[in-house]
Amino acid sequence: MGLLPVVAGVTAGARRRRVWAVQIGFLLLAVLAVLCAPLVGPTAISLRQVFDPTIAFADNVDAQIFFIARLPRTLAGALVGGALAAAGVVLQALLRNPLATPFTLGVSAGASLGAMLVITFGLPLTLAGIPAVPLASFVGALAAVGVVYGLATMRRQGLSTNVLLLAGVTLNSLFSAIILFVQYLADFTQSFQAIRWVMGNLDVSSYQPLLWALPMLLVAAGAFAGLPRALNLLTLGTDSAAARGIDVLRTQRLAFVSASLATGAAVALGGPIGFIGIIVPHLVRLLIGADHRFVLPASACLGATFLVVCDTAARTLLSPMELPVGVITAMLGGPFFLWLLVTRGGGPR
Amino acid sequence: MTPVCRLLVSFALAVWVAALPAQTRPGRIISIVPALTEALFSMGAGPRVVGVGSFDRHPAEVDSLPKVGGLIDPDMEQIIALTPDLVVLYGSQEDQLAQLERAGISVFVYAHGGLNDTLATIRELGVRTGQRMPADALADRIGSQITRVSNRVADQPKPRVMLVFGREPGTLSNVYASGGIGFLHDMVEAAGGDNVFAAVARESVQLSSESILTAAPDIIIELSYDERMTPARQVAERAVWSRLPAIPAVRAGRVHLLLGNEFVQPGPRMGDATEAIARALHPKAFQE
Amino acid sequence: MLRAKAVSFAYDEGTVLDGVSVEASEGGLVGVLGPNGSGKTTLLKLLAGLLTPARGEVTLDGRRLDTFARGALARRLAVVPQETELVFDYTVLDVTLMGRYPHLRPFELEGPNDLDIARRALDATGTAHLEARPFRALSGGERQRVAIASALAQFDTGISNLGRVLLLDEPTASLDLAAQLETMALIARLSEEQRTTVVLCTHDLNLAARLCDQLVLLRKGTVAAAGRTDQVLTRDTIAAVYNVDADVHRHEATDQLTVLPLRRKESP
Repeated sequence: MGLLPVVAGVTAGARRRRVWAVQIGFLLLAVLAVLCAPLVGPTAISLRQVFDPTIAFADNVDAQIFFIARLPRTLAGALVGGALAAAGVVLQALLRNPLATPFTLGVSAGASLGAMLVITFGLPLTLAGIPAVPLASFVGALAAVGVVYGLATMRRQGLSTNVLLLAGVTLNSLFSAIILFVQYLADFTQSFQAIRWVMGNLDVSSYQPLLWALPMLLVAAGAFAGLPRALNLLTLGTDSAAARGIDVLRTQRLAFVSASLATGAAVALGGPIGFIGIIVPHLVRLLIGADHRFVLPASACLGATFLVVCDTAARTLLSPMELPVGVITAMLGGPFFLWLLVTRGGGPR
Repeated sequence: MTPVCRLLVSFALAVWVAALPAQTRPGRIISIVPALTEALFSMGAGPRVVGVGSFDRHPAEVDSLPKVGGLIDPDMEQIIALTPDLVVLYGSQEDQLAQLERAGISVFVYAHGGLNDTLATIRELGVRTGQRMPADALADRIGSQITRVSNRVADQPKPRVMLVFGREPGTLSNVYASGGIGFLHDMVEAAGGDNVFAAVARESVQLSSESILTAAPDIIIELSYDERMTPARQVAERAVWSRLPAIPAVRAGRVHLLLGNEFVQPGPRMGDATEAIARALHPKAFQE
Repeated sequence: MLRAKAVSFAYDEGTVLDGVSVEASEGGLVGVLGPNGSGKTTLLKLLAGLLTPARGEVTLDGRRLDTFARGALARRLAVVPQETELVFDYTVLDVTLMGRYPHLRPFELEGPNDLDIARRALDATGTAHLEARPFRALSGGERQRVAIASALAQFDTGISNLGRVLLLDEPTASLDLAAQLETMALIARLSEEQRTTVVLCTHDLNLAARLCDQLVLLRKGTVAAAGRTDQVLTRDTIAAVYNVDADVHRHEATDQLTVLPLRRKESP
């Protein structure tokens, strides 16, 4: 039984209190992770020196380690982890498929292709000072979901989630093929750089990338806030949802676009870090049940916590070497995913 | 290697070379290893090279030769069609090595290593191609060029150096620097520098901003072999480092961007590369 | 009450319904029958407002369905699909409370009143004891009853029972005998005791004969016969619509109209 066992006969007030307690618990966990992570690292720093106003920032190594090396990447981890976990929840509900991830619909392949092209051909496209690789990966991600969406709405008026899923899977392999082709043209070091990008890296070492990603993530979060009830109904089926007063097509569009936006921004910020979008939502469902009104915010918080912790491990374990954070999430996520596959079978019983 | 070992190796090599069949002087050579292609031309075996790797750029003669792929994608059909007597390729290309062996084609296997390994490789390549004398001369020339550089900076204080050879453009993400082994490390030491990651027993180290701040190098040497590096981009890429102002190298304005593939291909121009690094580390020692 | 007037509908593949009229009066129990592909499910979706007719109109109390606000319609008219398959582990209470969503303001959680209504709906369908169980762990019959409970929870409590419409698609299709009887009894009770208007479509002629007071027999998208059950379920109409010779008689013990299919008719 989870944190929210629905005991027969429980009152509405008790239900509500428990829901709030659990939500605040998840939120506190995330806040705690974000506050503690910058204090942890391979180098011992003194907090007193970090905040010592008598030392100029340019000379204050501890302050720079805290404010440049650790804090931005902790915040990036929280944003990326939260966004990927929330996008995972939304897409699983939209596709009515518990094995869907934020990358199922081709986002990561599109983003990787974009990054790959810039790394290989050195395209000098920078927009308002945004470095080429994140920009290209964001554009690639949105281009991929645009194609998938176009295919899913082409045949008939509604949005076919089956076509969406198939188009996403197909586009993933098509893009992977193009990536291999581009890699064939690239030289060895470029290929290596591209492969490294795919493993994810949150070491942004400045606040600028966070500021670029934030508006998109906020828009997505705003859309997510209005979705959970409709997502609950969508898991009953589109007709059942429509019969309960839901504008199904509008909900599906909103879910698809906002989840894609969040994923695209997260991938541009930290690379296609895998498994968060699937482990975290399932873990949350195991703990608190299936209701998306509670699963969505709790997943965002737990996703943030999980990635911040994984990234702290990535930059600490093999110091001074950096471990790709995507490798850590995958090593934790892979076995979990398999366990899920075996015990749940991926569909209704 | 101890002197005894070295003696034994050269003896074994001599016996093996002596035992080789008549075709000791291969008439048709293919090399897909850029550094060794360059070495082949430098030791006078250039006219016999009939095929090169896709990423070979030096010397200019390679442009007109057939390209037969590289480390990941060697085109075996084309290689065999060119009927070589000797193929120079990477040790990790085990499938290709086996294929060539079945086809009865001799191979010269390249292994990555430090400066001295590279010089030994050049000498050995000279033996295999019947260019022993010019190869020895080439290795000696490179060796003495490096020694000259070392001597020139010998009495200079050794700055702490971080040698970066890979980084995501425009960011400080995925920074790769030389660890304590390999020719990059050797070149830094020969050029009178003290590699800040000498203690890491690896050729490459991926760094976080924190480990760069903690390492606090006096000088950052960044290598780039991107042929499209415009002057404006060079300025922009150097400026990226100013995000970490506590690094002594950044504060002192001692971030150097060195362009050219001689820095990443341990071949005949290794001496030049070492000298370029030394000039960046010790500008005073090179003022006439 | 709920009325379809000469409705037509076509998918890309072709016309499915052509000029079909159905009327369900208050508290009435109307069955829609017909062979596969005759347009039963499409008609049900038109009646539910899930599809909009190409021609003709569907009205609830004389008002066209598409003039209702989505939520307002959902508070009077509920649909029970043939099968409810959930992907995630919602509890039975979760599923039932989903019926209350049309009544909630944005971001509002269910209050004591909603919980009360949901529990009464579970009670009415005999599933109150399953409240905390995962929906996916239920048997087919239990799922069907919870789906009906969730639909019942949709209705406004303020309006009289007479204002409610419940549409069911093949309510017994995938159930075993006992579950079929349970579900039939539940539907009959809802209709008789609560005076809920019910429209259901089914393949089961005996179920229709037992439950419904009015029948509509569809054939290739048009009405082959409509009216009182005993007038529609005759040898001739069955022969015409299903191309099957059937024996139609009153069961001696129950006085129930019973259809016994005998053989496929030779093609004329």
